Amino acid sequence: MSFLLRRLSFYFTAFLIAISFNFMLPRMMPGDPIDALFAAAQGKMDPAQMDAVREMYGFVDGNVFEQYLSYMQSVFTLDLGPSVLMFPIDVTTVVGMSLPWTMFLALGSLIVALILGVTIGTYSSYRREGFFGQFVPPFLAFISNFPYIVTALLLFYFFGLQLELLPLAYTYDPAIDPGFTLEFIGSVAKHAVLPMGSMILVGIATWVFNMRNAMINVLGEDYVTMAEAKGLSSFRVMYRYAGRNAILPVATAIAMAIGFSFAGSIMTEVVFNYQGLGNILLKGIMARDYPLIQAILLILVSAVLTANFVADLLYVWLDPRISK
Amino acid sequence: MKEALLEINNLCVDYVSANGVARAVNNVSLTIAPGETLGIAGESGCGKSTLAFAITRLHKAPALISEGEIIYNGRDVLKMSDKELRDFRWNDVSIVFQSAMNSLNPVITIGEQLTDVIVAHKRISFKQAAVKAKELLGIVGIHGDRLKSFPHQLSGGMRQRVVIAIALALEPKLIIMDEPTTALDVVVEREILNELYDLKEKFGFSILFISHDLSLMGEIADRIGVMYAGNLIEIGDAKTVFSKPSHPYTKGLIASFPTIHGPKERLYGIPGDPVNLLRLPTGCNFQDRCADCMDICKKEDPLLAELNVDYHAACHKL
Repeated sequence: MSFLLRRLSFYFTAFLIAISFNFMLPRMMPGDPIDALFAAAQGKMDPAQMDAVREMYGFVDGNVFEQYLSYMQSVFTLDLGPSVLMFPIDVTTVVGMSLPWTMFLALGSLIVALILGVTIGTYSSYRREGFFGQFVPPFLAFISNFPYIVTALLLFYFFGLQLELLPLAYTYDPAIDPGFTLEFIGSVAKHAVLPMGSMILVGIATWVFNMRNAMINVLGEDYVTMAEAKGLSSFRVMYRYAGRNAILPVATAIAMAIGFSFAGSIMTEVVFNYQGLGNILLKGIMARDYPLIQAILLILVSAVLTANFVADLLYVWLDPRISK
Repeated sequence: MKEALLEINNLCVDYVSANGVARAVNNVSLTIAPGETLGIAGESGCGKSTLAFAITRLHKAPALISEGEIIYNGRDVLKMSDKELRDFRWNDVSIVFQSAMNSLNPVITIGEQLTDVIVAHKRISFKQAAVKAKELLGIVGIHGDRLKSFPHQLSGGMRQRVVIAIALALEPKLIIMDEPTTALDVVVEREILNELYDLKEKFGFSILFISHDLSLMGEIADRIGVMYAGNLIEIGDAKTVFSKPSHPYTKGLIASFPTIHGPKERLYGIPGDPVNLLRLPTGCNFQDRCADCMDICKKEDPLLAELNVDYHAACHKL
């Protein structure tokens, strides 16, 4: 229990530091969205109008400290003000619409890649000498060493453009009303195959090799030999005695992978025009929509920290030696 | 001599590497009678552990049994199918590994590590197995509540007891002990050995005791075999091997133990290093380190010759 509290206070501090950076970064850059607007208006805007616009967007006057306090307040009340790009819609609303899709894409592909990768890694280390162990891991390494953009565009080209098997854009068919209907869920699944598949293809080798290397270390341990000597089934020796221990370093890697997975989904969403956070972030950056950019960075920070916390919990559950 | 429980005939185990084939166990033959304790001694790398692992086919690539047979109760272990082998392991022959620290899985409770082997071999539920597990812990002097403990919550001596309890779980006829007390201090070692005597009396199993500690072995074993560079070079009753060894290597081994009584003397060790198994000399493997080396030793391999009833040694001098 004290372990959990210690971890929680650590993550809370990390969160405070991260959002402070999030506050400082845009302010270290020259200009602000209104300046950009002013420049775009090419002198057809007078200073009074500019001030009015500033106020409309909720930009705070005052020194940096006052701005910081008001920023902190907005973060903890989740009231991040209107988006510049999609004025007058709230940033929170914009993010709320696209966040579920990104989570679906990033976490979904991570979980599938993880389960497949760990299973293949375990099996290929146990059957190192055989065809499976000799052939499958190098093949997966080959696949995942293409730059992501190449893999994504190849899939896009063959399955989307040439074979016309799968849709090329959007999260679901716009002609279908969202809801818990078979038609809608089918459409979502169909639209997710290419973006998710490409992320899985690229991500899987990491897990195969992580798990395989951890397994090879563990397989040399006496307790695995003893489990074998006990006449237990190879399945039990492989997954309960060796796999259970080999998964520990892999569990640590999961936390880091979640961050990368969110970052990776940005590119995926752009390639497949998937209506998630990445797409919005790109548009936000183009339009210098600082509130939106800050909100999305805030979400990424929270996601990575939450993932780390979950990995810590997972670790305690997996390794009884940690929690005392 | 009684009907043998385990009979090893001309067993050879090779390690295949890019630099050549190293024969870790060369043409070893021995028998273990029911209820007997056979000790195998020798320095590190002499092949004693490889021999022990080969008995239940636990050797892993690049090790390979190239010749010989292992007969347990009339069945050839080397010809068993995977399923037969799984049934044979632990049911008939169990193993106590070198260090209990490493032979218990750190993330699985000792209760599960005890019960799973029972459930794997007998048609009983985990609940019934847990009752049996509690009983087994009691036999080695550990409270039954400890079933839910993880290995790191026990002391070194307790862990070794748990490993022995696991080895007893199916009441096998033969227990292979691969340096079971090397990782323990002498007080705990003594306790465990005393318990082992009692257990042996109670259950009547045979022991194949592997150790480099000849003095310990002189105490526990009925017969002792000494290995050097993969060969069994001397085997016979413990008393004779210990007090009147025949082979120069055995003599050297025994002379390298300090005596507690009498004046302090500089210890005699065996000169030179163990031979490289990849570059064995022609003739006797021990020739370079032997004080009594003769011409024939550089030409011919000495064979294990019967010196007495049930007493064999391999040396040209004898």
